[in-house]
Amino acid sequence: MRHTGIRLFDRVREYAGGLRIGRTPHSLAVPYALDALDPDETRRFERHLETCPRCTDEVRALAADTVRLARAASVPAPPDLRERILTAVRATEQEAPEPVPDAGARNARGTPARARVLVALTASAAALALVAAGFLAFALVRTDDRLDEERAMAREIAHVLAAPDARAADARGVRGCGLGVVASRSLRQAVVTATGLEGPPGGRAHQLWELRAGAAPRSLGLLDGETPVVADDLGARAGSLAVTVEPARGSGRPTTAPVVQLTLESVGFGE
Amino acid sequence: MEADELLPLVARGDQKAFEDLYGLVSGPVYGLVRRVLRDRAQSEEVAQEVLLELWRTAARFDPARGTALAWILTLAHRRAVDRVRGARAAGERERHAVGERERRAAERAGPPASDQAAEEPEEPEEPEEAEGGPEREWVRRCLERLTDLQHQAVTLAYYDGYTYREVARRLSLPLGTVKTRMRDGLTRLRDCPGAAA
Repeated sequence: MRHTGIRLFDRVREYAGGLRIGRTPHSLAVPYALDALDPDETRRFERHLETCPRCTDEVRALAADTVRLARAASVPAPPDLRERILTAVRATEQEAPEPVPDAGARNARGTPARARVLVALTASAAALALVAAGFLAFALVRTDDRLDEERAMAREIAHVLAAPDARAADARGVRGCGLGVVASRSLRQAVVTATGLEGPPGGRAHQLWELRAGAAPRSLGLLDGETPVVADDLGARAGSLAVTVEPARGSGRPTTAPVVQLTLESVGFGE
Repeated sequence: MEADELLPLVARGDQKAFEDLYGLVSGPVYGLVRRVLRDRAQSEEVAQEVLLELWRTAARFDPARGTALAWILTLAHRRAVDRVRGARAAGERERHAVGERERRAAERAGPPASDQAAEEPEEPEEPEEAEGGPEREWVRRCLERLTDLQHQAVTLAYYDGYTYREVARRLSLPLGTVKTRMRDGLTRLRDCPGAAA
């Protein structure tokens, strides 16, 4: 009985407020701003927002209130997080900006920009999986087989980045090239990104190596520009990674001096 | 530079701008996530997801919709709340699965623990180096000016990640009353003198 009464009250109030969507109470703006709606209600309220400029203004004002609550909780992030994020950023493609519709049209209809932001706020996939998605942007023009391969690779990258013992490091080499790594000792894997490697001189390639004291260098494959690669089966005693210029099909062992070398000690390898 | 100036640069792939933005927002993002999740390892993981998502989707930020900081912290709050609700739902299922047998054993063993403790074993809050500075002090002072119900309605939702329906159940209040208390609480915060710009 009471329940029915409340619902009726809400409806009357909505009607009085001139709101067009029957069961979306305007009163949900506050719990919405506090992220205190369940998923169904959130979707319903967001649909309502698209047709209610007044609610949009209100939600914006409420966001300023919650930002204060958020900032009051600030504590310094763990120091290690910074390097990890910055390295991951180098390995992560960004979404292309959407073409901006002309301002008049956007204001008149009022929805595209808002819809985009709301999608951003409600997308539920973990960002680490999205590292993979960004990476996949390259792959869209490839064949399906190639796509599957890259998708698998992207999953591996996300897996390494999410490992609890993942650590990051980077190094600078000659002529502004650099090597960044996020490595997990427990997985014995590393995501390696090269930056600033100019296309190697005619018909040659950049090859990545694992170097270990007292052992022959082990090839980790050829690098394709700045596309990240996953190095597998790293030895616990792996000392460093290095990039050399080699013939186009790669070499069995390095034949030139490294253009960049990165020690793995700080990421949990070596001794 | 402010977050509002940096975010558009980040959207164009400027890694240096991202480093600066990281310096500005990593504390608030991590602190907020930590406040909601409590657990250190999970907080680090979620903060990492949020900060990377920031890089990836910076182009979606639309200054017409609010400040960059609001956009970023809303994203962080949503991710933290999603995570804590997922964990609670999993805990709920587990408790049901463990079920009757243990409860009977517990009843035989002694008086049952209070509802709240049984429902939700909360980690003691670790002391943490505060960073919020004047903002934190202002919020603390202003939260004190709220009535108990306003205070609880706002903080159970925002800092503990409960839906307003859950807040209503926990406080034994009708839904409408909870929404009103939340609104009044936020309004009173907004009117609290000395608000940082």
